[in-house]
Amino acid sequence: MPESVSNITAQMPRAKLAGLLLFFLGPAVAIYTLFSIYPLVATMALSTYTSDPSGARYFVGLANFETLLGDALWSKPFWNAFGNNLIFFAVHMCVQNPIGIALAGLLSLPGLRLKGFYRTVMFLPTMLSVVIVGFSWNLILSPLWGVASGALKAVGLGSLFAPWLGLESSALVTLSLISVWQFVGIPMMLIYAALLNIPEELIDAARVDGLGHFRIFFHIKLPLVLPTISLVSVLTFVANFNAFDLIYSVKGALAGPNFATDILGTFFYRTFFGNQLQLGNPTMGSAVATVMFFIILLGLCLYLFLVQRRVRRYAF
Amino acid sequence: MANLRIEHLNKRYGATTVLNDVNLDIEDGEFVVLVGPSGCGKSTLLRMIAGLDGASGGDIQIAGKLVNTLAPAERGIAMVFQSYALYPHMNVRKNMTFGLKFTGVPPAERDRRVAEAARMLRLDELLERYPRDLSGGQRQRVAIGRAIVREPAVFLFDEPLSNLDAALRVSTRVEIANLHRMLKSTIVYVTHDQVEAMTLADRIVVMNKGCIEQVGRPLDLYYAPANLFVAGFIGSPAMNFFEAKVGSVEGGCARISGPGFRSFDLPATSLKVGDSLTVGVRPEHLGRGEDGPFAVEGVVELVERLGEASFAYVRRADDRLFVAEVRGRQTPTPGERATLIAAARDVHVFDAAGLRVTTQNDA
Ligand SMILES: Nc1ncnc2c1ncn2[C@@H]1O[C@H](COP(=O)(O)OP(=O)(O)OP(=O)(O)O)[C@@H](O)[C@H]1O
Ligand SMILES: [Mg+2]
Repeated sequence: MPESVSNITAQMPRAKLAGLLLFFLGPAVAIYTLFSIYPLVATMALSTYTSDPSGARYFVGLANFETLLGDALWSKPFWNAFGNNLIFFAVHMCVQNPIGIALAGLLSLPGLRLKGFYRTVMFLPTMLSVVIVGFSWNLILSPLWGVASGALKAVGLGSLFAPWLGLESSALVTLSLISVWQFVGIPMMLIYAALLNIPEELIDAARVDGLGHFRIFFHIKLPLVLPTISLVSVLTFVANFNAFDLIYSVKGALAGPNFATDILGTFFYRTFFGNQLQLGNPTMGSAVATVMFFIILLGLCLYLFLVQRRVRRYAF
Repeated sequence: MANLRIEHLNKRYGATTVLNDVNLDIEDGEFVVLVGPSGCGKSTLLRMIAGLDGASGGDIQIAGKLVNTLAPAERGIAMVFQSYALYPHMNVRKNMTFGLKFTGVPPAERDRRVAEAARMLRLDELLERYPRDLSGGQRQRVAIGRAIVREPAVFLFDEPLSNLDAALRVSTRVEIANLHRMLKSTIVYVTHDQVEAMTLADRIVVMNKGCIEQVGRPLDLYYAPANLFVAGFIGSPAMNFFEAKVGSVEGGCARISGPGFRSFDLPATSLKVGDSLTVGVRPEHLGRGEDGPFAVEGVVELVERLGEASFAYVRRADDRLFVAEVRGRQTPTPGERATLIAAARDVHVFDAAGLRVTTQNDA
């Protein structure tokens, strides 16, 4: 019988074991520390300092956070960005994920032709650069030379057109929908893969039990891919609260009109690097980044404790 | 409860023909077992009866009603799958009632049926459990229970025991036989296992390459296989075959001779001089002796001892091996010369096309 690993390591000289561990774990730990742990810790550390006009830094404890959440000059844009971010996330949850699930369900229908084609086409936008997507949609929706108004006119719905990206009331939702359009392929692919895992015989059993495709989807397939859906939700949450690039490429760092599309990412950017008349403030920016980190951490913890523990994975 | 009639059924996938002109009549309450080598189309036939796969041609009637275009749930069938296919996210009770909900069975009736099935299958204690908390045998019983509560006219089983261990397979087999006796319903049952087929079936359907080779009662198939395929398929170890020719024909008797066995007379009228034949004898019908209606000699090469019997692999004069089952405590020893004989009625003769030659011995 081969010796078990724990036996072998127990008999090894300490120095040799340490050397082995260093050899196998060292590179990964080093890279992870350098690029993930160190920046995180450094950012958190920086958020407890402030700097005067000469550039010297002083330790101020949690004062930056007090300013950020307590001083109306800071807290108003912060809560505005946070609220917008929640809306951004809600649109993804309510539009992107249901559509992703529905598309996955359609793709997994038996006897569908051109499956590979549809799959590729719907995944294509995900592979495009966000900058290109933002720019294209900016052009499409432009009231001056965009094709959207012409296209609506062509089908007799010209009166519905509005400069959606320019209106305070609709800019955020429009941007969210552009993001949904781009990334709907990801939930679709993940859920499609999970659906393929469901054994054929189980579906056959449901058909013998008298269920049609629709009911099979709702009563059998959907409950069985719930773990994947919850995973997709948490990925959406993290991605949305870290989002920045689409807003920046469509609306710029000012996230107009009148900060209607400002989310935590753009708020952080302006704070840290400065923008137009606003001076960059790395220590305050670090405080924003730290708060963002804790918001995501809190969301993940809620997910782990409230959702993950209740969702059951099924082995087939 | 209903009869099942299959007429000229065909199934093609593109250019490959999976089922070729299958005709089968199954009586009300009959237990029919489909056997055949892997890939011969047993599951396909069963799935077509169930309505899970469409036919490329032909008709299926259940209880006298044409069901070709009906959905599985409208055909009055229930199916038990090889992998059990229990819904993993429902407990045993829900697994059983789930289908009933969609076919409009009122709740009280559902409960009654589940209670009855649970009693029959000893599932009472398991009703609130989930499939993951059940053993293989229990899952199998739940799968059967889910079929029973549908009160189908025809039960379809696709290799239901193949995932169980040997001991459980035997006991579940007995249970299925009992169930059939109690329910008196029509059953179509697919299996690889000959013992299952022989013990359970009222009639066995032997399939090969998408065609039905023979339909008959288990012992008829065993004692009078209609062709070479069935002769070689039914019985384990497989029947020994010897090439032979008709030497002379005199007064309704043909003289059969060939390499490796002693020439013998066969009371068959249909044979002509020079016909090529295949002679088949089952290992268990060969016994040690000096001379008999059929006799073959050779040198014992290998002996497998199973306890209740031994299998002797004997090399004939023409350098081919055949198998004989030897009963009793005295087992042959390798290297020994042996003469093995069989009774006339245990000698099967097949013509050049592989079809059984009927003889007066069959009567
Ligand atoms: N979708 C398909 N396309 C092409 N050929 C298929 C398809 N489904 C089944 N076949 C073929 O049909 C034949 C019969 O398959 P089937 O599953 O009925 O065999 P079986 O007798 O049940 O075998 P086993 O005993 O291994 O379960 C096989 O040769 C298989 O390759
Ligand atoms: Mg099969």
